[in-house]
Amino acid sequence: MSTGAKEELRRTSGSGTDLWNVVQPPTIWAVHFLISYLAAAILCARADRTAPLDPVFWTVMTATAVALMLIALVVLRLWRVEKFSTVDEDLEFERNTPEERHRFLAHVSLMLSVLSAVGVLYVAMPVLLIDTCR
Amino acid sequence: MGRRGRFDQRGEIAIISTRQAHFAPRLSRFLALCCLALGCLALAACDAPQSALAGAGRESAEVASFFWVMLAAAALVWLAVMGVAVLGVFRPPARVTERAARWLIVGGGVVFPTIVLAGLLYWGLGLLAERNTAEADLRITVQGERWWWRVTYERPRVPADDDPQRGRASSAIARVVSANEIRLPAGEPVEFVLHAQNVIHSFWIPSVAGKMDMIPGRETRLVATATRPGVYGGVCAEFCGTAHALMRFAVVVEPKEAFETWLRAQAAPARKPLASAGARGADLFVSSGCGACHRVRGLIEAGEVGPDLTHLASRRTLAAGIAPMTGEALVRWIRSPQSMKPGALMPAYAMLPPDEIDAIAGFLLGLE
Ligand code: HEC
Ligand SMILES: [Cu+2]
Repeated sequence: MSTGAKEELRRTSGSGTDLWNVVQPPTIWAVHFLISYLAAAILCARADRTAPLDPVFWTVMTATAVALMLIALVVLRLWRVEKFSTVDEDLEFERNTPEERHRFLAHVSLMLSVLSAVGVLYVAMPVLLIDTCR
Repeated sequence: MGRRGRFDQRGEIAIISTRQAHFAPRLSRFLALCCLALGCLALAACDAPQSALAGAGRESAEVASFFWVMLAAAALVWLAVMGVAVLGVFRPPARVTERAARWLIVGGGVVFPTIVLAGLLYWGLGLLAERNTAEADLRITVQGERWWWRVTYERPRVPADDDPQRGRASSAIARVVSANEIRLPAGEPVEFVLHAQNVIHSFWIPSVAGKMDMIPGRETRLVATATRPGVYGGVCAEFCGTAHALMRFAVVVEPKEAFETWLRAQAAPARKPLASAGARGADLFVSSGCGACHRVRGLIEAGEVGPDLTHLASRRTLAAGIAPMTGEALVRWIRSPQSMKPGALMPAYAMLPPDEIDAIAGFLLGLE
């Protein structure tokens, strides 16, 4: 089956995004935050106040790279939903059809992805500037 | 949205603007007055001894400049947003492509705030990092009590006793216990080590540094450098119970030599009361049981439930910053602490005869 036909089929069957897609980016952000926070908290609870944060720095950097990659994957998939839905500007957003729901969710999810990516970057910032437990 | 909808919207706007025209002069005069009053208040607060904008400390000056930059930027953003809103209302509708509108939203609503907030975050974190790495020779341990401050001065890195060369006459002060007032040497970084006895408090000297919570069972730290000599106000900034609002302290910033002289004097025990009134007061202080809670080094060193009174009269204020250090205030405090500070945990001594209370107050006023 060609991609065009597949998309046509998906479009008519109204699949593409669901609530799971919507919660993915914020969940990635939350897990990234937890990893960063816990890494720093555990290290500093064990070591004394002057301990360097190097291990935490690398943990946070790795977690950040992974989180951004995962968010990028989500965005990529959503981008496709957006695209195939808008190719022929005939969507009216006036009926309660599965397609409209999916497009709406795709849009929400896309914006949440941007927000989550920014959140991940902000969470990662402190380790760039602060290098001991103090 | 059809034509009708648009028509209705216009009609409503027209009604609002006629009403506005009617109220405009009065409203704008009122607003101008409000602005003037607020401006005066803000300016007045800048000079006050308890203003975070007074800039009497390195840390507070940094925070204040941060604040002014943020304020200016916020004003610019506000003006821009209001300008666009006004344009949108009064300018005849222009043809804007959906694309351009989208870019305005993405640029102004996503890209711009993200970059600005990242910049502010970077700057703020930089302040935090710098503050936390400052080294301090003087350590002041402050413990939040209900509803007063236990203050201990230490120089942890200057060995006091093991260094024979420095001798007893040197400035090496091991540990000085005081309360309810904090002295700081101007220009020297000081490390505050903060504790709480049983409820949460927050330690804040707005003119010198940012605030820091005091949490039971934990130790929090704050490094601050007071820069400008003067007398400032400090407060408890976290609700801690009945007398929370009456839990304050004076902060005296003075040149380093003056501070050292003061610290040496504080380290000494109380001078023996010479005058007979003082001697009688000292006896009464002991016999009335004040010593069960208060320490007067050189006289009685049993309890430490209440503030150390060894050099009480050298403080500017009584009972954690709520009254001036005068005879009348002392008499009133001893007779009925709760009338000055509801909830105070010192028992009232109203049953003592007035002349005995006077004698005790006289003795306390001699403890310089
Ligand atoms: C049960 C313990 C207790 C006894 C006994 C007691 N006090 Fe107090 N006293 C306190 C506490 C607690 C405070 C702090 C109250 C506050 O500020 O909230 C205090 C505060 C004070 C202060 C203010 C200290 C300062 O730093 O400004 C003075 C002065 C004082 N007491 C004098 C006396 C005298 C004089 C007596 C005896 C007649 C006495 N106290 C007996 C507990 C006690
Ligand atoms: Cu308090």
